[in-house]
Amino acid sequence: MFRLIFQRLLALVPLLFIVSVLTFSFTSLLPSDPVDLILGDTGTDEQHEMLRERMGLNEPIYLRYLQWLGRAVQGDLGNSFFNSVSVMDAVMQRLPVTLSLTAISALIAIVVGISAGVVAALRPRSWVDRLATLGATFGQAIPNFWFGLILVAIFAVNLRWFPATGFTPITNAPWEWLRSSILPSIALGTASSAAIARQVRSAMVGVLQQDYIRAARAQGLSARRVLFKHALTNAMVPVVAVLSFQITVLLGGALIVEQVFAINGLGTLAIAAVRQQDIPMLQGLVLVMVGLVVIVQLATDIIYGLLNPKARPT
Amino acid sequence: MTIPASENSRTVLIRLPKPSASGMITAVAVFILLLLGFMAIFADVISPYDPLRQNLINALQGPSAEHWLGTDDLGRDVLSRLIYGCRIAVIASAEATTIAVLLGVPIGLFIGYRGGWWDWVVMRIVEAIVSVPGIMVAIVIIAILGTGLHRAMIALGILFSTSFLRLARGVVLAEREEVYVRSARVIGTSDRRILLRHILPNIAPPLIVQVTLTVGAVLLSEAGLSFIGLGVQPPDASWGTMLNTAAAFMQLAWFLSIPPGVAIILTVLSVNLLGDVLRDSIGRGIAGDAPQPASAVRVNLPAATAAPEPTAVSRPDDVLRIEGLDVALGGDTGVPIITDLSFGIARGETLGLVGESGSGKTMTGLAILGLMGPALRATKGSIVLNGKDLTSMRQNEIEKVRGNAVAMVFQDPTTSLNPAFTVGSQIAELLRTRKGLSSKDAWKRTVELIDRVGIPRAAERAKAYPHELSGGMAQRIAIARALSCNPSLLIADEPTTALDVTVQQEILDLFRDLQEEYGMAILFVTHDLAVAADICDRIAVMYAGEMVEMAEVNALFAKPRHPYTRGLLHAMPHASDREPPLPTIRGSVPRPGNWPQGCRFSNRCDYKTSACETRIPLVGTSRRVRCIRADELNLGRRP
Repeated sequence: MFRLIFQRLLALVPLLFIVSVLTFSFTSLLPSDPVDLILGDTGTDEQHEMLRERMGLNEPIYLRYLQWLGRAVQGDLGNSFFNSVSVMDAVMQRLPVTLSLTAISALIAIVVGISAGVVAALRPRSWVDRLATLGATFGQAIPNFWFGLILVAIFAVNLRWFPATGFTPITNAPWEWLRSSILPSIALGTASSAAIARQVRSAMVGVLQQDYIRAARAQGLSARRVLFKHALTNAMVPVVAVLSFQITVLLGGALIVEQVFAINGLGTLAIAAVRQQDIPMLQGLVLVMVGLVVIVQLATDIIYGLLNPKARPT
Repeated sequence: MTIPASENSRTVLIRLPKPSASGMITAVAVFILLLLGFMAIFADVISPYDPLRQNLINALQGPSAEHWLGTDDLGRDVLSRLIYGCRIAVIASAEATTIAVLLGVPIGLFIGYRGGWWDWVVMRIVEAIVSVPGIMVAIVIIAILGTGLHRAMIALGILFSTSFLRLARGVVLAEREEVYVRSARVIGTSDRRILLRHILPNIAPPLIVQVTLTVGAVLLSEAGLSFIGLGVQPPDASWGTMLNTAAAFMQLAWFLSIPPGVAIILTVLSVNLLGDVLRDSIGRGIAGDAPQPASAVRVNLPAATAAPEPTAVSRPDDVLRIEGLDVALGGDTGVPIITDLSFGIARGETLGLVGESGSGKTMTGLAILGLMGPALRATKGSIVLNGKDLTSMRQNEIEKVRGNAVAMVFQDPTTSLNPAFTVGSQIAELLRTRKGLSSKDAWKRTVELIDRVGIPRAAERAKAYPHELSGGMAQRIAIARALSCNPSLLIADEPTTALDVTVQQEILDLFRDLQEEYGMAILFVTHDLAVAADICDRIAVMYAGEMVEMAEVNALFAKPRHPYTRGLLHAMPHASDREPPLPTIRGSVPRPGNWPQGCRFSNRCDYKTSACETRIPLVGTSRRVRCIRADELNLGRRP
């Protein structure tokens, strides 16, 4: 097991290196000149030239990349062009918000997806199966932000069960945190629930036809034990393989759903950074997100190895 | 995929309800997409108002005769904006998908074909891109290119090109090792020609499916980007920008969010459904046209006129006693699978159940365990094990019998052990749940059992996973598992068929040893008469769901009385005679539902007379045969 973790960690090095090169070179392609952005129309040509020199913009790009990378691995992602706040601070301040939404929606997606998939697989072609399949088909076609709007209209504006906008940090008031996260997380998690349900259903239908399921029943193990231990463990193997992708999708979706609920997360930061051509902010956002995705991938790889002995290195 | 006309018409007749249901959904999906295309092309003609014309006096009105879908915050007609939104949706999905295909497929083909350094670098870049949330990739590209419909679609095109790249690469990697591609290379065909002529056509089917998936994803992404203000810019009407407006006025005019939302859902739903249909039909095309199960064809069997047949004398030491068993697919009026089956097995005895595939041997074994599957049911007769009738038992009662009183060893040991758990834990689990042993005792007993079935270093092997064991080893484990709760009956379903010949003999010896030690009865299902001769005391020959002959093993081999048994014996290879070629029984076992009336073997039998067209009873006591001419025919071992 440790070998597996070690192997995965090792494989991350080239990935993170390439991500950093791509991020840096792409953001360097931004059409605007940072010096113009910072000084605006004010300032003399000398002042412009001085700032240019001070920011190191006259140096060759590979040198600037190395300097940037050197600071980035130490946790310094530079300062925003727009308001000179530290990118790391700005991102870390918003991160818990986006992370809350992603985590709760992932939990919803996993619980709903697996239960619906299993129930559907137990009775293929029954009405439960048809209903689950229909729900999954619809779930994948509904835009998360539109679903958010509808949820707000029904449960916040009409029924007043949940706040329509805003986000309460968990450290302030855990109950309010849950209340403010639940609608955005449902909006966000629906499509992933649908995707996971479809995956679970097809995996489970396949596993239930396997010899070892019949063999386990033939040895007298109870239907429930065979289903939840023997079948589900195997059915989860392909599901876990797509889980990290779904969580990546949720993280991206959170950027948009946040806008519906006027939640001040990474999404608002990213949109502002695009509008303001804030290069360090965009770079920082991409790196932090890749970091999160990589952690999720590592976790799912480990779970995959636990579920599927064949995937473990020998 | 060509289906003969007659086959086709028959299939359609039988399966009419199902295709029409899914066919209707497909038709609706196609209709919606055609409607979308129509509105996109003729938006200028059919929209009642100019989508950009403002009328602030009429702002935020609900649906009315003048404005069917109401007006927005600037008094613009929602219906007209929705119709123009169709145009944006079509342009958006066409642009982004085209860019994705044109970018992804050639690069994928190239790196897949060239391999090496190119492949490594490009694939690492792709991995890097897909490890960033897609919307963030699009946001960065939009930051470089600027906002607006076309720029946003270039961004999405670049983003989605990664999936086409991987798809094309995958197909090339699979195809370039195919024999026909290699031979083309050997005769000096140019790389370009190989790619265009040999590999590209194979990409088409998965490519079409991927395109539909991408179109759906593009529509959702475009709406999302426009919603957060990075896609289509106001005042242009896209469904995403309309929702952006709606979001601001949710409390005042919630209805604004409904038309664009429904438009997006219907379009994406139609595209996805179409993609599902395409994927299913392409998948079927690859898998080949699977033959229809015979379930649809019904045959009216004559009522069992031969009914009260002389059953064999019930022996007092029988562990298992099956009496007049009928199994049917789909209940009493369904297709019969097994009819009128009776036999018994005594303690310490091995009964061989032989016959070709499809004769009902395995089904008999599963019927004893009550594991035939949901569609199959025992409709008549009894299965008495240790004095208790299993056919009348409820689910939880029969679960107690399984494993304890009767256990089964399956044909393929590598698939009958759960790949996710160690072999030892699969045996220990039974000992804990069925015998109530503690974890420690269960493990100790497991190691003993594994040692008993002849596996060296048992304690170590118990911790192995099934895929780490050879077939013979895995079958020994399966046998150990079956024996773990000391069953009085062991059903062995072709336990040696999947194994090497040398291993086969070892496993047979193991069965013999274990039977001597534990004294259980064995029902040994096999199609291999040599194996049956080796291990069985008595042999029952099955054909088309019924027993045609049963005898003590030496008697059966010395003098078969049923023409089918004779055919089987003749088809046995013998080391002594290489020539002439082995005689075979012509034809094959008819499927359930297609059995001839009267003697079911009659259409393959050389001795058939007109008398064979009525139901033939099984006669005799210790030696039983189901052939009307059994007494007059002299079916020696060698003709």
